[in-house]
Parts: sequence; C-alpha cells; structure tokens
Amino acid sequence: MENKVSFKVYGKFALFTDPLTKIGGEKCSYQIPTYQALKGIIESVYWKPTIIWIIDKVRVMKPIKTQTKSVKPLNYGESKAPYSLSIYTYLSDVEYQVQAHFKWNLHREDMSKDRNENKHYFVAKRMIERGGRRDIFLGTRECQGYVEPCCFGEGEGFYDNYGELSFDLMFHGFDYPDELGKDELHARFWRPKMVNGIIEFIRPEDCEIRKFVKKMSANPPVSVGLDEEGLLEGYCTEGVR
Amino acid sequence: MSWIQKLYETYENCQSMVGKSTDDNNTPLLPICHTTQIAQIEVTIDQEGNFKRARVVPKDDAKTIIPCTEDSGGRTSGLRPHPLCDKLQYVAADYQQYGGSKKPCFRLDDSPYGNNDIETEYFKNELEGTSYISIKEFFDKYKKKLHEIFSELVKIPNLVVIINRNESIEKIREGSVDTETIIKNKYKLIDIFPKTLQKTITYEYLLERWCASEHSHPKAEAVLKYVKKGTVVKDLIDSKVLFVGENGKLLKKWDKKQKDNIPDIFKLSLDEQADAFVRWIVEIPNDPQSAVWLDMSLYESWIKYYSSTKKTKTLCYVVGTDLLEADQHPKKLRNDTDSAKLISANDTSGFTFRGRFLTAGQACGVSLDISQKSHLALRWLIERQGKVFYEGKRRTPGLTIVAWAITGEQIPDPLADSFSIMGFDKLESDSEPIASNAQDLALRLKKKISGYSVTLGDTTGVVVMGLDSATPGRMSITFYRELTGSDFLARVENWHQTCCWIHNYRPKEIDVAGKKKTIYIQFVGAPAPSDIAEAAYGSKVDDRLRNATVERILPCIIDGQKIPRDLVESVVRQASNRIAMENWEWNKTLSIACALYRKYHEKEEYDMALDENRTTRDYLYGRLLALADNLEQWALSKANEDRPTTAARLMQRFADHPYTTWRTIELSLQPYKARLGAKSLSRQRLISEVTTKFKPDDYTNDKKLSGEFLLGYHCQREALRSKEKEEDPEEGMLQE
Repeated sequence: MENKVSFKVYGKFALFTDPLTKIGGEKCSYQIPTYQALKGIIESVYWKPTIIWIIDKVRVMKPIKTQTKSVKPLNYGESKAPYSLSIYTYLSDVEYQVQAHFKWNLHREDMSKDRNENKHYFVAKRMIERGGRRDIFLGTRECQGYVEPCCFGEGEGFYDNYGELSFDLMFHGFDYPDELGKDELHARFWRPKMVNGIIEFIRPEDCEIRKFVKKMSANPPVSVGLDEEGLLEGYCTEGVR
Repeated sequence: MSWIQKLYETYENCQSMVGKSTDDNNTPLLPICHTTQIAQIEVTIDQEGNFKRARVVPKDDAKTIIPCTEDSGGRTSGLRPHPLCDKLQYVAADYQQYGGSKKPCFRLDDSPYGNNDIETEYFKNELEGTSYISIKEFFDKYKKKLHEIFSELVKIPNLVVIINRNESIEKIREGSVDTETIIKNKYKLIDIFPKTLQKTITYEYLLERWCASEHSHPKAEAVLKYVKKGTVVKDLIDSKVLFVGENGKLLKKWDKKQKDNIPDIFKLSLDEQADAFVRWIVEIPNDPQSAVWLDMSLYESWIKYYSSTKKTKTLCYVVGTDLLEADQHPKKLRNDTDSAKLISANDTSGFTFRGRFLTAGQACGVSLDISQKSHLALRWLIERQGKVFYEGKRRTPGLTIVAWAITGEQIPDPLADSFSIMGFDKLESDSEPIASNAQDLALRLKKKISGYSVTLGDTTGVVVMGLDSATPGRMSITFYRELTGSDFLARVENWHQTCCWIHNYRPKEIDVAGKKKTIYIQFVGAPAPSDIAEAAYGSKVDDRLRNATVERILPCIIDGQKIPRDLVESVVRQASNRIAMENWEWNKTLSIACALYRKYHEKEEYDMALDENRTTRDYLYGRLLALADNLEQWALSKANEDRPTTAARLMQRFADHPYTTWRTIELSLQPYKARLGAKSLSRQRLISEVTTKFKPDDYTNDKKLSGEFLLGYHCQREALRSKEKEEDPEEGMLQE
C-alpha cells in the first residue's frame, strides 16, 4: 500500500505539555513530541474521515533546549482578575522529521467508497508540499510550526551519534471514540526510547498503559459518501480533456 | 526524563536518611505524610494519659517532625488539624475557656449542613426507595444542626443495616451502644456528609479515628486519653508555662513593667501565648524513645493508618500503575513559608484543563506515595544543596536552582564561583595556598572534580532543576536537565576554566591574634552567576532581573551554550563607568567583565597575564589607560592626596573616544611626571613603548573601544603591581 509520507516540521517554540503541569496551569513541555501532537500536525496537513494517520517515527534534528516565558493566561472563570500570571517552559528552536502512514478507519462504513489509497496518498503528498491545509502548531496553539516535504533520515541531526536515551512514562495519545468504535475516551501511555535521535512510536493498540478518561460519543459529520445526489452529475468516466 | 520520577528515585535511594537530621537546623528527609513545624511547648505525659510536666521549647531545638494529612500539610487559613501535634486551638478542649481568640477545632463544630452536603448517591446505592425517604425525614427532623444529627446518628449500632430493615427512628434512638461502635459509625458518616465533615474534621476526631484503627500506636492512644480530659491549657497554666491575667484569661502580652523576669513563652516570636504549638513526650516504661517526633514506629503507624483511609485508586502518571490517589500535593518546597505547589488544580471554572476533561482527575493523576516522596525529596534537596533567590522586600522565595545526583552523592554546586567550588571559603587560615594563576586553577579544579567523580561514577544521573513562581500559589519548572555524572562534572569544570579571570572580591573572615578580620582574597576562577548579574546591572539590581539573568547564565554552564552577547556588553559598559561606583565594586565589576569577555571570545584565548606581543588597538589603549592611571595614582599617594585620577574620571569617555580622550589624559599627566621626577621615567618609557606598538591607523582611529580594552587595562595594572611589589614593597602597598 502506497501510503507512507514523511515531512519535516519546525518552529521557534514548541509546547508538548506534561499533563502533570497542565492541570495547575504552569505548563512545562515534554522534551520530545508526543504521538498525539504529531498526529495532530499531519491531520492539519491533510485529513479525511476515511483515514486514520499512524505515526511511525520521529527524528529529533536539533538539540533539545528549553526557554521560559512569562505569560498572562486569561481568566475565563469566576475570578475577579482578568488574567493570572504563569511561567510556561517551551522547547525552543525545534525541528523534527516525521514518518507517518494512514490506514482506513474501518468504523466508518459510510466512507468505504472513499477508500482509494492513491487519491489520499497523493493529496497528502501535495498538501505537505503546500505546507498543509490548516495551521500547523507544535503542541499548543501559540507555537506556530511549518511543514515541508523531506526524505526521512536526510541531513545531519544533533543526536545522530548520541546513542540511546530513555524517557520515563510519557503520554502517547488519546483513543477517541471515532477511531476506537466505543463510546469512550482513553488516554494512552508509554515509555519512549530515543536511539540516535530517532523515536519509533509503538502502535496505539500496543500501548499497555491506558486510562479511561470519560464517556464520550463520536459525532461524525453526516455524509452519504459518494452517494450524494447530484455529486457525480456531469462527471464522465473518461475524464475531462 | 521526568522530574517527578527522578525525585522519587532519589527518595528511594536515600531511604536510609529518612528522619535523620544531619544538622540541627536542617530539615531531614521526611517520612511520607509528615511535615515539620516549629514547636513552642513540650508536654510530657505518661502511658495512661496523665500530665507529668511541660516546658517551653528552646529555639534551636524547635523544629519538629509531625504527622499530617494531605489537607493539613497544605493548610493555610482554614481549620485543618494535624493528627498528633498541633496548636492549642486544636489540641486543647479548654482553649476558649481561657480566652483563645481563634476558632477552636478540638471537637466537631456546630456548622449547619446543606442538602448538597449529603451524598445522596450514597443512599441510592445502599438503600431501596422507601428507606431512602425515611432517612431524609430523619435529617429534616433535626433541621440543620449538624452536631445534633451527629450525636443521634452515632448511636446507631450499624446505620446501614438498620436503615435497610426500615425500622423506625424512635427505635434506633433507644438502642444503647458501646464507644467502639460509635467511633466506627462516625467514619461511616463521613461518607454521608462528605462536604460538611471534610470542613469540620477536628483534632479529636482525627486522633480518635487513628487510635480506633488497627494501626494504632500506644503513644497516640496516650495523647488521646490526655487531650480528652480537656485540661491542656489548665495544666500548662498550673505548671507555669502559660500565664493568665486577673480575669482568668490568657495574657496577650507580658506586663512591660516586669522586665526582669519575662517568662520564656513571651520571648518567642509568637503573636500571643494561645498560638503556641504543642508537641508531646510520652513516657512509657522500657521505651527508649519518648519523644513522639523522633519515634520511627509512630511514623510507621501513621503512614499505615493514613494509607488505609485512602480509597480511590488512579492511574499514576509517574509509574503507570493503579495506585492510591493523592488528593493534594505538598507545599513548603523552597522554604517553610512557601505556599507554591508544583502540582495543583484548583481551577474549576476556567480552562486550564477543562474542555476535553471535566475534572482534574481525568486530566492527570499521581499516587499518594509518589507525590509525597518526590515532593519531600525536592524539599530536602533544596534545603541541603539548592540555591533560593529571594525577591522583594518581603523576601519571598523566587527562582530556585537545585542540582543533585540521583544516588544522593555530593556534587559541586553549579552556581558557585570557583572560590567556593574549591572550598577556599571553608579553609581555616589564610596561610593555605590559593589558586593564583591559570595553571594552578586547572590543577586544583581537576583534583577537586576527580574527587567528585570517584564517588559519583560515570553513569550516575545528575539532575539540574530550576523552579520559579509567578503567583504565590503555583510553581513552575523553569529549567530541567538530566546529565550523566561525568558530563555534569566536565561541564562545570569547563565553565570554571574558560570563564575565569583574576578576582579580588571574595571576603573571608580570618583570625588575626584572636580578632576576627575580613580580608579579600585573590583567586583565579569563574564568578558566580549572581555576581555576574550584579556586575551587569549594578549592585542594586532588581531581584527579578537578577534572577532572570541567573536563569540565562545557567544553560551556559550546564549546556555549554554561548554567553548572551547583551550580557557581556552590559558588564563591559558598567566596568567602563568607573566613577559611578565605589572602588571595590568597580574592581569586582572589572574582573567579572574581563572573565565574561574572555569567555565570549573563547577562540581568541586571551592570556590572564600581560601579553606584550598583542598589538590589537583596544588592548593597547587599555594598557595606556592603566599606565596613566598608575602614574598619577603614584604621584597622588606620594602627596597623600585622595582623589580619583584623571584616567579614572575620564574612563567612560575614553571607552567611547579613545584617541581624543587620550590626548586630554596625557596632557594632564605633565604635573605628576614633574612631581615624581626621575622615578617616573620607567612608566614614561612604557607609555611610549606601548604607543609605538600601534598600527599607524589604529592609533588615530577614534571609534568606540570593545571590552578587550578592559583586559589590556587589567593585565597592565596587575603587571605593574607585581613589579612594584618586587621593586619597592611599600610602594606596592600604597597602590592598593
């Protein structure tokens, strides 16, 4: 199946928030991107309900550096002050090479006619060349990122000869109901290992540590796929000359 | 690579240190579910709970390890009792009787309950429809007085069983039951009235619960027996620890007229007597450890009991298994008054985590064991080897940097200057040799570092962590690095070897014939980051700016990053502005500027001794300035005049327009040359020597000087000084 794409994503800052620091509001980034953050990036580049993106691996190109910023997060709650004060710790000057592939979302029977791997593959490739369909951001909204096509493994990375680096338990991603097929939201965890700058992600279904978060039901956009009335009107199978 | 995991590992590695105080005033590594408090009163009782004696605790022995609940460990203004030792307001039933002004928290309070406080879910699970209604009637009958309903409910032998049988309330009230059942039923109630009872958990209740459990301890039981008598304040008054006035109430203040015999309790920094914190000594025959705060078995007993009260399990985000959940996380991390927490979640209406998640528990969970151990380890590490920078007039803790080895071994402090790293500040006398040149420094540093690396080994993890808080309640991790021990040592060594210069500013107290005397010792090495910040922005630098600067320098040491250019330029600018500072301060700024400039231009490999062959313009101009300064100073001190030299006054202008200013300085030297006569010939010769070294265009170039001129200045000055000392020791002294 021709469904593997690779791209590079870079930005000045990134914030892959460690959940421990998220709940208090003093956000502090993980040292490496999470599976879910990279999945979000490729989904911003190109996504259709027909497909599920799977991240194979990521290559960390630049040294892991952090920078703190004092921020004034708005108070949406009942507090009288319009904002509070926090210190966020960002990763600074990041660049990653990512390899991903897609598979069909088998929970979407209504999309079965859209399962055309060439179409999705080439659109995804084109979208990577264009820098994505929607805004790319690294972890959080304020960290704008940029996507470019690349060949995974090309160029020189800072950790090329670094050997192995293990990380403690880390967030992997969420199991959303639309991809899980159950009305539940789960959080997944794993223990990443970086070998010479490359982190090979395990598949979501292989994550053994999971937490049931809450009940949640999928709310897919209503569609009738290619059966929509009038969709194929004037379409001739020989193509347009 | 997770801070909390590493802290937890450190705690586990240092288990043997738990509860053991190395230094009198240092907090030891605490057992979990314990905290420290300053105690003022010590009450001794016997096994049967009879009062024996009491005394006021001397200040240097006042730090006391006490058991706490998660709630009480993080208490601020609310009434959250500690289970064993606490203030009079909690432990004394007769607190109000003797005029205690604060709300007592010994027994359950008469606080009303609301319908929301009752966990109706509880009944729904336990009861069928009709019995649910009967219990509601029961609540209505007793209106909103919690203590009434409570005293009735505790008489019920087994609440749930009876309600299930649907017996009438009258029948229930007739039943006579023993104390043990009452206590057991009290605990049942906490499930029914979760909110109200959480608010009104009292000291007696907490201790009673502990003593009624299987994890009880004879000392806790003795304390319970004693406090139940309700005579704590009375006993203290009888034994002349506390004092009452004529009205029978505790005195607020000691009568100022009786200055001679102020009782000990008034010498302590307490607002009033009634605020005193009480700790217990329980004397049990054949028990060597009578102090409750040092008894390991009591620690154990409390930990076991407290863990047994926890019910909910959660996936711990640190270890990845289901463990007992922590409700709250400890504070007091940076010092005893610090209320900022690393993990907190009190935003129930904003959107820090709400959105995808509804509650904080959905977003994240940490187990009690891990949370306690990691926080206590951090607190211990900060107190032992961390550096806390205080802020503002109230000296609240701000930026905090702590570096530690996961095995608990000693490591050098990355924020210290070379002087401290090499342990000079701990030397007993001034006779021992001090690193005075680059080779010496390298040698000593190597020795010191290899000493560390022997105990540390290559693979031990070292963590450097920076903490800061923008608001008093929350703390954030502003810096976090994990390195291997050898990497860490190599980087510290590299910093001290490359960012070094000759400094004179470290004071040291020595004994000269029995008198304490402060001398300034010359050392070669790297300045401390906080000294760099002060050099860059003046000694009265704003605390926040200083801390931010320290934070910027830290990665230069730990990651080997380049020093920020603006910082170097700022120090150079400060050092050029000589007349704005006291002499000692300017000298300090100057040597730090040289160290930073040298570090920034590492590739140039500037020598710390005078380099006669260097012919760059800025370096030569620096030398000229030093020569002019020296010549005039010499002449002034000969005439016993004390005023700044022309070179000193014009230094800043000289830095901006060297060529034109040099003309002014040189012209002004004429009278001094004349005054010194033939003595000044060697200086004059040097001046012309330096001048001839200029490349033709360089000399007349009036462009701004770079920091290099400070190096030239400093080197030339040091060279002249050592020369003078050789030629004429007395003359050399005069230059100081």
